[in-house]
Amino acid sequence: MTAKTWWSKLFASNTSQPAFSQNPSATVIASQGAVVQIDKLGKEFQEGEIQRTVLQNVTLRFDSGEFVVLLGHSGSGKSTLLNLISGIDKPSSGTVRINDLAITELDERSRTLFRRDYIGFVFQFFNLIPTLTVLENVTLPQELAGRSSTVAQQSALHLLERVGLADRIHTYPDKLSGGQQQRVAIARALAHDPALILADEPTGNLDEETGQRVLQILLDLTRNTGKTLIMATHNPEIAQLADRVLRVQDGHLTRVIVHPDALEEVVV
Amino acid sequence: MTAVISNRPLWRLAWQRLRQRPLQYLLCIVGIALGVAMMVSIDLANGSAQRAFSLSTDAITGRATHRIEVIAPTGVDESIYSQLRRMRHHSPMAPVVEGYTLVEELGAQPMRLVGVDVFVEAPFRSYFGDDERLDAQSVQLLTEPGAIVLSQDLATQYDLKLGSELHLDIAGQHRTAQVTGIVAPNDTLNRRALSNLLFTDIATAQELLGQVGRLSHIDLIINQPEELQAIAAALPTGLKLETAEAQKNAVQQMTAAFELNLTALSLLALVVGMFLIYNTVTFSVIQRRPIFGILRCLGVTQGQLFTLILAEAALFSVVGSILGVGLGIVLGRSIVGLITQTINDFYFVVSVQQVTLAQSTLFKGLTVGVAAALFASALPALEAMNTAPSLILQRSTLEGKVQKLLPKLALLWVGLTLAGVALLRWQTGGLIAAFSGLFAVLLGAALLVPPLVSLGMKALASVGYQVAGVLGRLAPRDIVRSLSRTSVAIAALMVAVSVIVGVSIMVGSFRGTVVQWLDQTLQADIYVSPPTTTANRVLGKLNPEIVETLKTWDGIRLAVSYNDADVRVVDFDRQAKLISADGDVSQGKRPYAWIRPDLGADPWKALDTGSGAIISEALILRENLASPPETITLETPEGDRTFPVLAVFYDYSSDRGTIILDNDLYTALWHDDRVASLGLFTAPDVSVEETVAVIRTHFKGRQDLLVQSNRSLRQGSLEIFDRTFAITSALRLLAVVVAFIGVLSTLMSLQLERTRELGILRAMGMTPRQLGTLTLLETGLMGTLAGIFAMPLGFALAWILIYVINVRSFGWTLQMALEGRYFWQALLVAIAAALLAGLYPALRLGRMNIATAVRQE
Ligand SMILES: Nc1ncnc2c1ncn2[C@@H]1O[C@H](COP(=O)(O)OP(=O)(O)OP(=O)(O)O)[C@@H](O)[C@H]1O
Ligand SMILES: [Mg+2]
Repeated sequence: MTAKTWWSKLFASNTSQPAFSQNPSATVIASQGAVVQIDKLGKEFQEGEIQRTVLQNVTLRFDSGEFVVLLGHSGSGKSTLLNLISGIDKPSSGTVRINDLAITELDERSRTLFRRDYIGFVFQFFNLIPTLTVLENVTLPQELAGRSSTVAQQSALHLLERVGLADRIHTYPDKLSGGQQQRVAIARALAHDPALILADEPTGNLDEETGQRVLQILLDLTRNTGKTLIMATHNPEIAQLADRVLRVQDGHLTRVIVHPDALEEVVV
Repeated sequence: MTAVISNRPLWRLAWQRLRQRPLQYLLCIVGIALGVAMMVSIDLANGSAQRAFSLSTDAITGRATHRIEVIAPTGVDESIYSQLRRMRHHSPMAPVVEGYTLVEELGAQPMRLVGVDVFVEAPFRSYFGDDERLDAQSVQLLTEPGAIVLSQDLATQYDLKLGSELHLDIAGQHRTAQVTGIVAPNDTLNRRALSNLLFTDIATAQELLGQVGRLSHIDLIINQPEELQAIAAALPTGLKLETAEAQKNAVQQMTAAFELNLTALSLLALVVGMFLIYNTVTFSVIQRRPIFGILRCLGVTQGQLFTLILAEAALFSVVGSILGVGLGIVLGRSIVGLITQTINDFYFVVSVQQVTLAQSTLFKGLTVGVAAALFASALPALEAMNTAPSLILQRSTLEGKVQKLLPKLALLWVGLTLAGVALLRWQTGGLIAAFSGLFAVLLGAALLVPPLVSLGMKALASVGYQVAGVLGRLAPRDIVRSLSRTSVAIAALMVAVSVIVGVSIMVGSFRGTVVQWLDQTLQADIYVSPPTTTANRVLGKLNPEIVETLKTWDGIRLAVSYNDADVRVVDFDRQAKLISADGDVSQGKRPYAWIRPDLGADPWKALDTGSGAIISEALILRENLASPPETITLETPEGDRTFPVLAVFYDYSSDRGTIILDNDLYTALWHDDRVASLGLFTAPDVSVEETVAVIRTHFKGRQDLLVQSNRSLRQGSLEIFDRTFAITSALRLLAVVVAFIGVLSTLMSLQLERTRELGILRAMGMTPRQLGTLTLLETGLMGTLAGIFAMPLGFALAWILIYVINVRSFGWTLQMALEGRYFWQALLVAIAAALLAGLYPALRLGRMNIATAVRQE
């Protein structure tokens, strides 16, 4: 039994709304992008006596193939939201559905497997596993899923070529520059052809020019394959490229429009 | 200009860290505590046994400065004492008769029975009233036959009163006596000393011990040298004048090797504990490298940093050492029985009533614990101190340094091993050199671990991938990446496991050798001796009538009689065991290490005719002789006599050395025709078991006898053997526990360090189970490596133990017997310990909060 068929079985038995049972072929879903439906999502952190509300009653929908930028001050809750969507953190209330699958109701293991197969991640920095080479880093998610290394390497090599690192595949991450590392991270996030890409300040740690290049690559690789991309950033310039911009503030998300010249926003 | 330096912020940081990571420090403290505890407990038990013996010896010696020793084992005729008295010396003189007895009412443990003459006692021992006046007790002691005086402590402990009846068992002969006096010395030392002693009048002692008309020795207080010479000159042959001190030293010398061996073994645990300390400190330094880097950038000096790290280590080592001393005392109490048993089996009779803690033991435990901790933490502290502030911030700097260090470590291994071999080959270096050599080899092997792990893991990464996929690739690389820590954990485990392998092979070989030796040596079907508490040595003698009856017993084809005594070997100036025999209990099957070429295969015929002595190999090996001496000179009551050496035999019953003489020769020279044991050969069609039963009942009432068939004697001997090594097994197990803690703390720290990395793995879709597998794979690998490395090292250890340490400690040659199970069991232990240690971190990882983990850095 391959991981994939096992996975579908799990879905069929475990969830009230079998999102993928109508659509058993994962690649079809992936190329279509993911629809993310957030309902009354709330997140609180307990710090000793104090309770800190970061997200409050957020209801939101991300469409398939959409590129959404999350803006917000430091500490406003952008990363928290991305974590909730990906299922690496659990909300205090509310649900997150991806393609009609309520991932907030899955158990730890199923959430992990779901993430592995359908979500790609890019963090701000220290994204890569230091003990693995560039190529090994990129093939890792697929290999964790039990895919054969030749299959994994095919897509990995292809993506590494796309991000311009085909000549560095056997290098270890600590020998790469920050921009190069981030390009590897992008390749890794995409190598298993996920439906949803979550990027948490992927260019936050890079100089402007490098940041631009990295971003361009990320957009190139996602936009024309119809993947859903949600990106947290401080950079309003990036926001201009997005289909939709959301500002995270005081636990709520509001849609804004960023003007190209004036650095002001209009709440929509 | 003076610079103001305050360490206060640093202490605050250290304190915060302690609060954040209590478990890590706790494990380190436990490690130190266990190491120290082992040392303290062994020290305590050894010391208590020694002190108990020397206290009771002191109590008997009293204020005597000298003693007239009797060379003949049967003591000396009292007339000598009267003669000496008649010479009217000014020096006080007191006769003593001494022996051992079991008293039913006193828990049936061996007690020293001391017969004294109350009239002359006062200058020597003040247990019986003052100088001039005899108290009522002493008068009673004189007038009542079977009157015994014992200490208040004993009386209270066993609920005895004046007039209580005592049932004495002296070498199987039963006598009754009465408590007529209870002495209560006011100082504690004397009180303790007396808890091992029973005093009687000299005549009563002679009667009870079956030494009528004879004395064990004569105590003297001599202050003038002229007097000393005069007395020495007046002594007839067979008597010698010795200082009271010399007596005590001889006893201590006997057990020195035995004790050193135990101490060395206990030190091993401390060494393993040191790895643990090194690991904890290194971790705490590495984890704080960024903080240290920032601090250094902010102006904290190198010295401050060094002080901080060392002070931390000092703090938890003090806590650990104190705990260790406490634990050691508890442990010591429980092993004191084991150690006393062994001393009783092999050396001298002692019963420890009280475990006494010497200040030196306390001090040693504390200092060694703290010193080990400081030594182990100096390296990481220096490393952190000497790294440029900007570099401290970099994670990979240290591991880079370690990688560069690998060739040097390999060289150091070569150097240490060569030094170890040189020390081991140094014949005259004694036991200390041998143990130093052993430790050098061990330490060298530990240094080789990092290069070996590095090589092995690199090779394994590709193989691992074929076998276990990505996890198989990640695990070995993770081990290499944290080489400075993982290799220490592996080394600690390796050392501990190699000790298991080495000691198991040694004990196994020893046992095998002894079994074979017993098979060959003990050919008689039935053995008869007085009952003994010490199992290995016969303390009393057989009733002569019983000996005569048994020699002509129906169904007995042949009877061989044995007697034994202590003898001073003049050539080597030390005590050995003398055996006199009227026949060979092995019937020529005894294996010999050497036989004088002209004697053929059986030297016993030559011995029978009284033409020389057969000596044990321990005598030669412990004296470091290259070849057997031509002759051996013994002190006899007739003066020193030299005997040609006929052969060298193996003797695993004594490490002091044994000399066998023909019984006629012995009787003539030592004036002792008693028999300590009999070996009986049954006629062909006689049932051994039935004969044993019949003999047992036949002599009931006359003397309790230990009548054993060949089989049960052998069984009994092996029981003693196993008992002797019980403590060894306990110690090696402890070493593994310490190593286990080392691996556990290593793993936990490694995971703390990699939290974010592991968080990313989880975010990318690694399941908790996969992460757990990764952890167990890593620990399993570490355990496997430790186990594999431990095999050759354990073999080397066994070789050293068998061919160097044992030979130098006890003078025994053992046949090394290798069994596969020693090796695979050790491998299993290593892997099991490592996997077990990985279990907790793996479980904890399974519950990790990914979001928090990813936030870190
Ligand atoms: N594990 C946690 N425990 C307590 N509080 C937390 C935890 N994680 C996040 N927070 C709090 O939640 C709030 C939002 O944090 P979050 O990381 O989502 O901010 P952000 O918008 O990503 O900020 P930045 O732009 O600086 O990355 C912050 O105030 C933070 O202190
Ligand atoms: Mg953030």
